[in-house]
Amino acid sequence: MNWKLLLPIVLVAPALAFAQSKGPSDPQIAGIVVTANQIDIDAGKLAKPRSQNKEVKDFAQQMITDHSAVNKQAGALAKKLGITPADSDTTKSLKQGAADNVAKLRALKGAQFDKAYVDHEVAYHQAVLDAIDKVLVPSAQNPELKGLIVKVRPAIATHLEHAKHLQATVGKK
Amino acid sequence: MKFVPERLEVAAGDRITWTNRDFVPHSVSAKAAGLESGDLAEGKSWSYVAKKPGEIAYICRLHPVMRGLLIVK
Repeated sequence: MNWKLLLPIVLVAPALAFAQSKGPSDPQIAGIVVTANQIDIDAGKLAKPRSQNKEVKDFAQQMITDHSAVNKQAGALAKKLGITPADSDTTKSLKQGAADNVAKLRALKGAQFDKAYVDHEVAYHQAVLDAIDKVLVPSAQNPELKGLIVKVRPAIATHLEHAKHLQATVGKK
Repeated sequence: MKFVPERLEVAAGDRITWTNRDFVPHSVSAKAAGLESGDLAEGKSWSYVAKKPGEIAYICRLHPVMRGLLIVK
């Protein structure tokens, strides 16, 4: 066996594994934040005129208002820090998931629409909370970017609770 | 995304002021008691004078899972 050839390969392998398991960069995190918010604003804009249920309409408007407020802050912070939000596999997967959800929702009406929209909002906000805790906060390098995500977390938790409350009532009316 | 403190005891005649320190709009609303601040943007305040003793359970109309309790003695 030629040890001179084997050694560099052994040394390089762990470095590659580390690179692959590393979390998203700050520009990628900014991209994920902006994309995740925009997706929920768009879902709200689809649901508000389409739902016949006042509580669902109010919730949809709240998603538009609150997630727009988050994106306004995120946009201002990114500009201040000189970070350009970047695409990543996560943003691509978020966009694909959103497109699938919109296609599904467009085919539904009435109580079926409400149920599908609210079910998705519950799952979506839960997924966003998990991403905040497991990926975005631990990976963010810039303290102000990390601070913004920490500041936004209670709003996502409140939305999740609100959506779960709605989930218990829609579809039964 | 919550009222701080969530439970507040005051004397009849006290003036209570709520200030929105969040980055999204909130309200102080209790339909039965006739409390309605309207939508309060970030940094905006609203005051209410508690006249009669009793308990007022209020919510944020925009985020109904946000709840507060005002106890007027």
